Amino acid sequence: MRMAIVPGGAREGANEDPLRHADGLYQLARHLARDAADAEDLVQETYARAFRAMERFSPGTDLRAWLFRILRNAFLDTRRRESRSPLDRDADLEAVAERPAPEEGALRGDRELERLRGIVGSEIEAALRQLSEEARLVVLLDLEGLAEAEIADVMGCAAGTVKSRLSRGRAALRELLADYRR
Amino acid sequence: MDCTEARELLHDLRRRRLDAARAEAVVGHLQGCSACRREDESEALLDRLLLERLPRPAAPAPLRGRLAALAAGAPVPVPPVRRTRRWPRLLAPALAAGVLVAGSALVLQRRGAEEGALSRLAGEAVSDHLRLLASAHPYEVESSITHQVKPWFAGKLDIAPAVPGDVGDLRLQGGAVGYFLDRKAAVVSYALRRHRVTLLAFPAAGLAWPEADRSAGGVPARATSLRGFDVVLWRQGELGYALVSDAEDLGAVAAQVAPATAQ
Repeated sequence: MRMAIVPGGAREGANEDPLRHADGLYQLARHLARDAADAEDLVQETYARAFRAMERFSPGTDLRAWLFRILRNAFLDTRRRESRSPLDRDADLEAVAERPAPEEGALRGDRELERLRGIVGSEIEAALRQLSEEARLVVLLDLEGLAEAEIADVMGCAAGTVKSRLSRGRAALRELLADYRR
Repeated sequence: MDCTEARELLHDLRRRRLDAARAEAVVGHLQGCSACRREDESEALLDRLLLERLPRPAAPAPLRGRLAALAAGAPVPVPPVRRTRRWPRLLAPALAAGVLVAGSALVLQRRGAEEGALSRLAGEAVSDHLRLLASAHPYEVESSITHQVKPWFAGKLDIAPAVPGDVGDLRLQGGAVGYFLDRKAAVVSYALRRHRVTLLAFPAAGLAWPEADRSAGGVPARATSLRGFDVVLWRQGELGYALVSDAEDLGAVAAQVAPATAQ
């Protein structure tokens, strides 16, 4: 059974319109995909999978988190098919870009605050690109308002892992952004 | 509470996910620890940068048209290939079958300029709402009484915004001065059961305004959804109003709030 789709994002009865989350999915996709066209592909693939699997969606659970999980899986599947073996992908996720948290105290203080205040949007996008995909996802899903347990569900990991990834990812992001203003 | 424990809870404090006792303990620690206070300020600043300056473009209208076609039952792509090669093949059966949903994409394209105005206003309204949700101090004046909140704006703004009081389940919480795009705005916060609702009032002069598509209690209004939030926009004289929330019945709320903003 397909969920009721009401143009313009309205709802029909208790059914929530999945397309009302298209903007959030597109914005997340832009930070994962290589370019805007790939981001559109990823969102479209996400909805295609969601509509196929709608019977497995449990009413009363968070539709948005469910869609984010599908998007993440679609992204990993697409990248694996297009360019890498699963082993390469796993190596990438584990090794490439999980930047270590800065040393305690190294970035604390007024100078960091002063540097961060001058940051512009394109610099934030560039800094996000330097995070590992997992760290980027956790930071962005937190920004979307998902709680740690919801992010853990999207990422398929423990809530404690989300907490540490979020902490390290945000610390790395602050370090990167402060670098732009040095 | 020591620094290690406090720092583990700072993020949850800013996200308002701590119970009262733990929140009080963290706040107490912050009051006596300048190092943790600076850490909290840096993290709060990162939140503001991400919420205010990270570009958040809406899903392009052609993509929305394709998604609507998918929702209407157009064939599903397997496996994914480049979009430029894929979509003509995917949409052909739907078009051949006379699926009219694809026509909505053309309508959307024709209305590009108007959608741009809607997207700009709604995007700013949602960003303002998110900033409030992320803020540890969302109110500059905290009161459930209209006659305390409305006069508070006098002298702080060049406008005299209406501040509707409680209607239905909507409960006034307080207000603050903020910015809507390039202009100062009144930011009025409400609670609607477990949801937060934000009413923004701002000078509408010089802003491209989308065409109304509904009546909100007799006031011509335009509604849309963005990033999981509903937004209702309307004008009253020289002022523009935006009502934002993730509550499911925001349209019904707008039907009560919009008439109360009449000058």
